[in-house]
Amino acid sequence: MTDILVQTGLWEDTDTAVIGSWLYSDGDVVQAGAVIAEIMVEKSSFELTAPASGILHIGAAEESEVAAGQVVGRIS
Amino acid sequence: MSSPEPVMRKIPIAKAMAEAIGQEMATDPSVLVMGEDIAKLGGVFGTTTGLLDRFGPERVRDTPISETAFIGAAVGLAASGMKPVVELMFVDFFGVCMDAIYNLAAKQCYFSGGQVTCPMVLMTSVGGGYGDAGQHSQCLYATFGHLPGMKVVIPSNAYDAKGLMLAAIRDPNPVIFMYHKALQGMGWLGTVKGSITDVPEDDYIVPIGKAKVVREGSDLTIVSLGAGVHQGLDAAKALAADGVKAEVIDLISIAPLDRETIRASVAKTGRLLVIDDDYLSYGIGAEVIASVCEDRALKLKAPPRRIAYPDIPVPFTPVMEHYVLPNAEKLLGEAKLIMETNA
Repeated sequence: MTDILVQTGLWEDTDTAVIGSWLYSDGDVVQAGAVIAEIMVEKSSFELTAPASGILHIGAAEESEVAAGQVVGRIS
Repeated sequence: MSSPEPVMRKIPIAKAMAEAIGQEMATDPSVLVMGEDIAKLGGVFGTTTGLLDRFGPERVRDTPISETAFIGAAVGLAASGMKPVVELMFVDFFGVCMDAIYNLAAKQCYFSGGQVTCPMVLMTSVGGGYGDAGQHSQCLYATFGHLPGMKVVIPSNAYDAKGLMLAAIRDPNPVIFMYHKALQGMGWLGTVKGSITDVPEDDYIVPIGKAKVVREGSDLTIVSLGAGVHQGLDAAKALAADGVKAEVIDLISIAPLDRETIRASVAKTGRLLVIDDDYLSYGIGAEVIASVCEDRALKLKAPPRRIAYPDIPVPFTPVMEHYVLPNAEKLLGEAKLIMETNA
């Protein structure tokens, strides 16, 4: 089980970050390094990549606010 | 636990377009890209992400805000053997460059007796729904589809976007490559899930001029394109719960229009509903319905219907805009009426 963490240090702490979209569905098989979600900060987007290969378990819904370093899902 | 499913590579339309352009640039030195904010920024809709770093400023050029200049230049480049891919950021801006598009690009091959072709791709964003008002939200499918000499396409998903872009760049004549903002995969616009699909890394073509049956059914034919395809699929799912089997056709190509696929479907279902988000009058729906009604061999079980954008400029206020935009709910209501019309 590997946690999927929101990137740190890429935007100001005062900016609001949200999950823009998950490119895969819950339960999909993903490969390490694949872009699995997009984090929106203001009008910029940051790609969230899979930290490991395996089955994706989505923990944070699209449109939900997230913080740098937060666990938003897992790969098993 | 069941055996793991094959690993897919899911990407949105914007990435699929950029990947196709990059692959073609890597193999064909005559391909270049021009437009506003397409180099350093990678396109405001992400269509050229990463290309500047890979191919440099000679082949990936940010232009001044003059569509008249750079789209005119693209026509000239195409006449002299290059294959320019240019971006008209919003289709709404076509006014200032339309002479280059429909009087020069579209007619180059005809006027030269086939001696000078025009292998250019004009990619352009269409569609609203995010409160960008009347000059940044139009679709204008019919405006471009009406003019001979150009091919006009619009993908509903990333798989088709890549294959269509490769087909468009290799086409010896001008191709207008429309892409719908609601499907791009740009978070700030919201993205329809179904448009993010598994995209092979290989080279493949989605042929221009062929529609696709994206869901099979025998009771009703729903025809759409771009974002409307997903509304059609949503409505078809809801109809299935009522025992109505709807077939959904993704036009993919506005010009040429694949009338055969539409007619073959209506021959089976006898009922036709067209949905698109361009203006209603003289639009996609009118053309599709006429193509069916002209066919003497087709027997209809109910009068065909169309849903489109009313003949008014797009309102700015989200409440007003969403009130007039076509959606799956309106489609479902109309579909039920058609089914009740049954003789």
